[in-house]
Amino acid sequence: MDKNLQRIISESSFESDTIREDEGYLHVRVSRVHVLELLLSAKQRFDMETLQLISVVDRIEDAVFQLTWILEDSGGTSVFMISADYPRENCTVPTIGDIWPTAILFERELHEMYGIDFPGNPRQNEDFLLEDWRELPPMRRDFDTLEYSLRTYGERRKRTHTDPREYIADSIDEWDTPVPMKDFER
Amino acid sequence: MYCNKLPDKPDDRKKIWDKVDNMARANSLWVTAYGTGCGAIELRPLHTSRFDMERFGIAMRPTPRQADVLIISGYLAVKTLKRVIRVYEQIQDPKYILALGSCTINGGMYYDSYNTLNILDRYLPVDVYVNGCMPRPEAIIDGFSLLMSKIKAGKADGWKHYMENLEYYRENQKKVIHNWDLPDYNW
Ligand code: SF4
Repeated sequence: MDKNLQRIISESSFESDTIREDEGYLHVRVSRVHVLELLLSAKQRFDMETLQLISVVDRIEDAVFQLTWILEDSGGTSVFMISADYPRENCTVPTIGDIWPTAILFERELHEMYGIDFPGNPRQNEDFLLEDWRELPPMRRDFDTLEYSLRTYGERRKRTHTDPREYIADSIDEWDTPVPMKDFER
Repeated sequence: MYCNKLPDKPDDRKKIWDKVDNMARANSLWVTAYGTGCGAIELRPLHTSRFDMERFGIAMRPTPRQADVLIISGYLAVKTLKRVIRVYEQIQDPKYILALGSCTINGGMYYDSYNTLNILDRYLPVDVYVNGCMPRPEAIIDGFSLLMSKIKAGKADGWKHYMENLEYYRENQKKVIHNWDLPDYNW
């Protein structure tokens, strides 16, 4: 691990657990109150210029969202990752859109997919991928996609015979249209 | 600005020249160049020299106004459905829908996805389904030839079905598209 990465944590005034370190790579976990401070000092004092991604793991068993900010330095040689846990219920995370403008987009996606609130993000209520979604945010693990899919989009009746000839003969008039469209033979 | 008139019910009287019309229609199928899902990938070899669908009179057209076939080439997300409805309704009659892949038939491997439709014929009238994940170009050609014989026999009447049962289709479409901001009919 290079010295620059080492200094980011050794010169900070608070505790951090190292999750993994490697050549040009450091991943630490800190308490959520220190995240902003660490991000800011990484950018301003240690040349971590690019925000690559903000990622989320829904750790429903521990009732937390684990957020990870992935930073890279200006030469593209070292990667610094910061993880912190936030409670799942009414999850609120400070926005970093004023430090890295790309974060506005990432946070908008997380708001739509996980329902995480980023107060201060000017665009978080705009639609990102979904249009007019009215359910629980779909990437949360307590959202049951199969149940939602069957409830909303229905299910084609499954076959009851294994013999194709019988099956086809049986199902020909059972399209889901009110007036079945005519069958056709070549 | 747009026209808010609903389409008239199709004229069902048999005409003497129907046969000639249908013959001509079947031999010059023009396809809207619009792809959804993974399936559009298989249309590339189909319309270029390897499988060359122009030998059957099938050609790609850039706009729906010039086309008469719409290919739904795979899973259809709700967001895409809205655009597909626009495209389909802009095509002039008679028009046909060819649906490719298991995804359009019963959801395929996206059967539990939160934003893809499972049963396409609830939302649009499908004339021919081609199964497979993904159907090979040969299978799509087979689907086209079935569509052609259907047209020649005067039985490819999905578009009539759509106009006659517009309320049914609209009701289903509005069930999944919540922010319906389209005109009553997209002429
Ligand atoms: S049927 Fe298969 S290839 Fe086609 S859209 Fe679905 S997953 Fe993709």
